[in-house]
Amino acid sequence: MTASQARLRGAAPEPGWGTWAVRGAALTYLTVLLILPLFVIAQDGLRAGLAGLWRAVTLPVAWQALRLTLWTAALMAILNAGMGTLTAFVLVRYEFPGRDWLNLLIDLPLAVPTLVTGVMLVILYGPQGALGGWLESTFGWRVIFAPPGIVLALLFITFPFVVRALQPVLEALDRAQEEAAVTLGANAWTTFWRVVFPPLLLPLTTGTLLSFARAIGEFGSIVIVAGNIPLFSQTAAVYVFGEVESENRLGASAVSLVMLALAFVLVMLVDWLQRRRRSVSPQA
Amino acid sequence: MSIQLEQLTKRYEGHPVVNQVSLEIADGEFFVLIGPSGSGKSTVLRMIAGLTSVDAGRIWLHGRDVSQAAPQARGVGFVFQHYALFQHMSVADNVEFALRVRKAAPVERRRRRDELLDLVGLAGLGQRMPNQLSGGQQQRVALARALAHRPSVLLLDEPFGALDAKIRVDLRRALRRIQTELGITTIFVTHDQEEAFELADRIGVMNFGRLLEVGPPSELYQRPQTEFVATFLGTANLLVGQCVAGSVRLGPVHFPLNTEALPLDTPNTPQRVQVLFRPEDVAVAAAPEALNCPQLGPGVVEQCVFAGSSERLTLRLPPLPTVRPIAPPVAFGDNSLLVEAARLQDQTRRLPLQPGDRVWVGVRRIHALAHPGLSFLIPTDGSPAALAALEVGGQIARLAHARVTLLGYGAAPTVLERHLQTAKERLGSGLAALELRVSAEPLGDAIAAEVERQPADLVIQGFHPAGGVALAEQTLRGGEHHVLLVPAEKNPGTPTRALVCVTGSEPAKNDVLFTGRLVRHLGAEATLLCVLPAAPVEADAHERAERFLAGGVRTLAVLGVPAATKLQTGPVRDVIAHEMQAGHHDLLVLGAPLPERDGTISLRGLVGQMLTGLSGHQALIVRSEFLAA
Repeated sequence: MTASQARLRGAAPEPGWGTWAVRGAALTYLTVLLILPLFVIAQDGLRAGLAGLWRAVTLPVAWQALRLTLWTAALMAILNAGMGTLTAFVLVRYEFPGRDWLNLLIDLPLAVPTLVTGVMLVILYGPQGALGGWLESTFGWRVIFAPPGIVLALLFITFPFVVRALQPVLEALDRAQEEAAVTLGANAWTTFWRVVFPPLLLPLTTGTLLSFARAIGEFGSIVIVAGNIPLFSQTAAVYVFGEVESENRLGASAVSLVMLALAFVLVMLVDWLQRRRRSVSPQA
Repeated sequence: MSIQLEQLTKRYEGHPVVNQVSLEIADGEFFVLIGPSGSGKSTVLRMIAGLTSVDAGRIWLHGRDVSQAAPQARGVGFVFQHYALFQHMSVADNVEFALRVRKAAPVERRRRRDELLDLVGLAGLGQRMPNQLSGGQQQRVALARALAHRPSVLLLDEPFGALDAKIRVDLRRALRRIQTELGITTIFVTHDQEEAFELADRIGVMNFGRLLEVGPPSELYQRPQTEFVATFLGTANLLVGQCVAGSVRLGPVHFPLNTEALPLDTPNTPQRVQVLFRPEDVAVAAAPEALNCPQLGPGVVEQCVFAGSSERLTLRLPPLPTVRPIAPPVAFGDNSLLVEAARLQDQTRRLPLQPGDRVWVGVRRIHALAHPGLSFLIPTDGSPAALAALEVGGQIARLAHARVTLLGYGAAPTVLERHLQTAKERLGSGLAALELRVSAEPLGDAIAAEVERQPADLVIQGFHPAGGVALAEQTLRGGEHHVLLVPAEKNPGTPTRALVCVTGSEPAKNDVLFTGRLVRHLGAEATLLCVLPAAPVEADAHERAERFLAGGVRTLAVLGVPAATKLQTGPVRDVIAHEMQAGHHDLLVLGAPLPERDGTISLRGLVGQMLTGLSGHQALIVRSEFLAA
């Protein structure tokens, strides 16, 4: 279709007042709901200038909270990428009893209140819990009220992200490509890495980044699981909560602003990856 | 021998999709496997490549048994219908894949890649991505990729199926050129006969998992052995005529018998044969004197189609006595004969024809088919037993590629019409032909009238425990056919283990022969059982029975049916019943009793007794042609 044809077909009448009203409503809604809060927090965080912001963020308690948040989220993202790929692969490629049920369960963490997640983990891994007690007495591993508990909670709540990102791509993969690789002499491992995995890389990265972004802001489950010991098991979100409670607005806003910036970068990255994916495989 | 297949079999959910396929392909040969979709041709190819496992039989590649070998170890090149290129790799990387896997040196890899891209006519396109190429180009890349590791065998699975006509022709030529250049043994799967004729050194025709015939294209076109091949390759005029003493009779016309292979057991009684002539064998003239070949009679031009270098005519002839058309099929309720003819341009100029013109039709030469093909008659009244018979009959007919007539009886015509339509849908495709008939007569008379019109080899009917024996009796009285009795069952299937009860006499040879013919199609195995009475018998009875059994096994072996034998002494009825149980047989084969003096048949004897207890297995009552003659 040439440009002029496109114009002819898509030729809409001049927008009337109704169209403007719809657009206005949407834009106002967006402004009130999203842009205004963002603007306010940026202003609040920068109230004492950049130096003030820097000071608030580099306070040992704040700094540790941010570091803890980042490394637990990163560790979770790596684990999630590996196990999520495996889960998606098994769900798509193998027939087994209860597969449909399992498939249904994958989405559950999206619906379960994160507080409930925390409670479940405490019951299972807590010092009084069966598994937690055994781990502590046998290996001396402390799970709950410690960073491993945070990672577990994050793994639980972000479970669907990678699986759901990979499933449709895996289903759409042409099995004949794998068969072709096999007839050309590739073993199962080579076939996976050279033929199956490359088309999964982009959706996998997207899914992993999204789960990372989701993990940074997690509060409900962590507040129960982590014990919130400053400098040890207190994450950024919980730190912000504490600062708000103790009416230290600058501290809360400053760390919030850093988390916001992180989230913003991640969202942009995901967006860029998805554009790229569309341009690489136009038919997908 | 590059490729050798021995009794290759693949089953899905118990049904054979590839059924005992044996084949030998010579070095450097271009072999085309052709058949309609679902005929199992692609499965054969995938089994050779190792992409599908083998259930029974063996595959040799260059003398090495690879039946259980991993696909990576077979050294074949495979080209898929939808190219299956690695979408995330460049053309060059696709072609180099096999060499990369084999850790070839980069210099060697690049040299081979350039050589192959040059060979398939894509030199310089190595850096493109697959989705930047046209379908034809992508398939060229796939071919280059499949050849990279210098495979000993090239397998192509409908490679041009997704491409348009002009590109197909180009690619076909390119493929044939490359194949000849490399001298690589090739199997090419297609459902397109034009492609098959143009490419093949030899063609194998498959239908319903069986390899029906193998031969050079011209041989299969001019001298097919089976009805399916005759009608599948090219346009066919196929009629059923009669064969007597070395000549073939089509109504009033006699042709010398052209086939020496035609088995004539009884040279002096007329036998049904299928007669094939191609459109180009039909002569058309304005007057009978102008035809210098045997005349079929006067006809009317029904249709003229201009087809470039030739002209296709459809001619309608009045019915010929004792001649029944198979192809082209005649519409329901029409008894005239349709004949397809083709004329070259110069003939068209000499005698221009238009629809409605009257002409004289002659046939220059004919070919009589060796195997007349089976025809089944399935009577049905909609009862559970009849439905079971329909189910089993349909399966057997598909396997045997038989012609089927469904005969509705025992209910109001409107009810029967509806029932037959449902039954027709259930039977589905895959039959040589399917005809629906309705009769208001009781079963025996209905069958007698139907086989009078068109003889059947086998009647397949449901068996009710009550009154079933009497019905079977009536069916046997109706004609010369064999009868398969199917008891009502939830999921009736085709038999897999047949127990053939023989007496060691001359008529029993026919029992074995027909059973063998049927069982071969089912892919079942047979046990020949001979029971000698417990009472003292003649001294040589034992020996004679053993000789007979050994002969029976040889006969079945020729047909490709694996058979075992059993010789027992005791009360006949008890021994048979016991053997059925002990051997897990699901088909009991009995010879029909001798007809009474007035020609009727009574099942009051052994057969009737065996039938009374019939449940959970099927029974085949075989007629002896020896007695009928």
